[in-house]
Amino acid sequence: MQMHRIKVKINGKQYEREVPGHRSLLHFIRQDIGLTGTKEGCGAGECGACTVLVNGKTINSCLALAVEFDGAEIETVEGEAKNGNLSKLQEAFHRNHAVQCGFCTPGMLMSVKSLLKVHPKPTEEQIKEAIEGNFCRCTGYRQIIEAVQDATGQLKKKEELKRVS
Amino acid sequence: MHHEFEYIAPRSRTELLATLKKFGSRAKLLAGGTDLLVDIRVGHSVPEAVIDVKYIDEYCKIRWSAEEGLSIGATVTCVDLMGDKTVRAKFALLAEAAGHIGSPQLRNRATIAGNLCTASPCADMGCSLLAYGASIELASEKKTRIIPLEQFFTGVKKTQRQPDEVVQRIIVPAAMAGARGAMEKLKRIKGHDLAVVSVAMVKTAKTLRVGIGSCAPTPIVLKELPASASVKAVVDEALRTVKPIDDIRASKEYRLAMVQSFVEKLMATLK
Repeated sequence: MQMHRIKVKINGKQYEREVPGHRSLLHFIRQDIGLTGTKEGCGAGECGACTVLVNGKTINSCLALAVEFDGAEIETVEGEAKNGNLSKLQEAFHRNHAVQCGFCTPGMLMSVKSLLKVHPKPTEEQIKEAIEGNFCRCTGYRQIIEAVQDATGQLKKKEELKRVS
Repeated sequence: MHHEFEYIAPRSRTELLATLKKFGSRAKLLAGGTDLLVDIRVGHSVPEAVIDVKYIDEYCKIRWSAEEGLSIGATVTCVDLMGDKTVRAKFALLAEAAGHIGSPQLRNRATIAGNLCTASPCADMGCSLLAYGASIELASEKKTRIIPLEQFFTGVKKTQRQPDEVVQRIIVPAAMAGARGAMEKLKRIKGHDLAVVSVAMVKTAKTLRVGIGSCAPTPIVLKELPASASVKAVVDEALRTVKPIDDIRASKEYRLAMVQSFVEKLMATLK
């Protein structure tokens, strides 16, 4: 099997590796580089668990070949926390209970990160559209939307639950 | 990917066509990969080689000329099309249709030509480009040919493309620039989903063209009608032409009802 030498920057760090043509970008990131934050869900572009940013744009890394990305800049969930401190977005997810089982979270964060580059104060509709390719099977979408609103200073104070007597 | 294959990325059109001739049906062409890599993963496709067409400069361009019309290169993605100023100004329905495809992640990679080459009956670009009367340009080492899009589709996931041919671009006639267009797509959920039924309508001063998806083995187009056609005439023509089936997403009867409903709605929109 012919090997291809590729150089990529992942979360600001340069990597150089030999890959066979059929290696998916997802498996390259997880197995060759060892960054296992990015998850494999469906492997078919439906669930978005494998979402990473390539040159600033989100893609499903399961549906991409590593060899296609020679020279690219890739961002994954591992690029979020700095020196042991969560990013503002991660903190907002934490604070708003937007993480349940956590499997969708790395991909969800990447889709939201991409949204915030274009719309720093997104509307609820824009948030929903941005995460339409990311499935959350714990069904915490409400909390995820609120986390994004919180991270962008738009979360209205939640109404106290009224006691029903 | 479980199946192993060679990856080849030709740097010129000449090299690409020679590689295609060498491998023929043993190779698959790669643009956005959002359909191909799923097919390979599930074993529907077992190519010896995957040929990446993204390094051919001329394929990544969207061009407009008053003589020929709009030319959409083979590797233009949904997001490229959605963001293009000429497309938005002159062929707004195409930008809208591209926005109906998949999710943001998929639209960043998936190409317009790839959507046509996959030739799914529900192809979102299929019914809209058919409504615009688009043609498609195919090239092999032997010759380059341009055929109307309705002839390109030959069956479920089948096209006229030969194993040694590559789709180079899609051409939308200049006469359709500025035509009013609208589309309706029925999905099971509000997020990304394949069309249960889709109808795209394009109206010029003289003509009315209607493309329909998920209601026949391929996306289809009704015979061209006069712009003055009555709602009833268009509905009748649509119901005569479609051949929907029962499947996992909907029944035949529901599809027929939705075709009628969408045609009526779009006729009102484009009144």
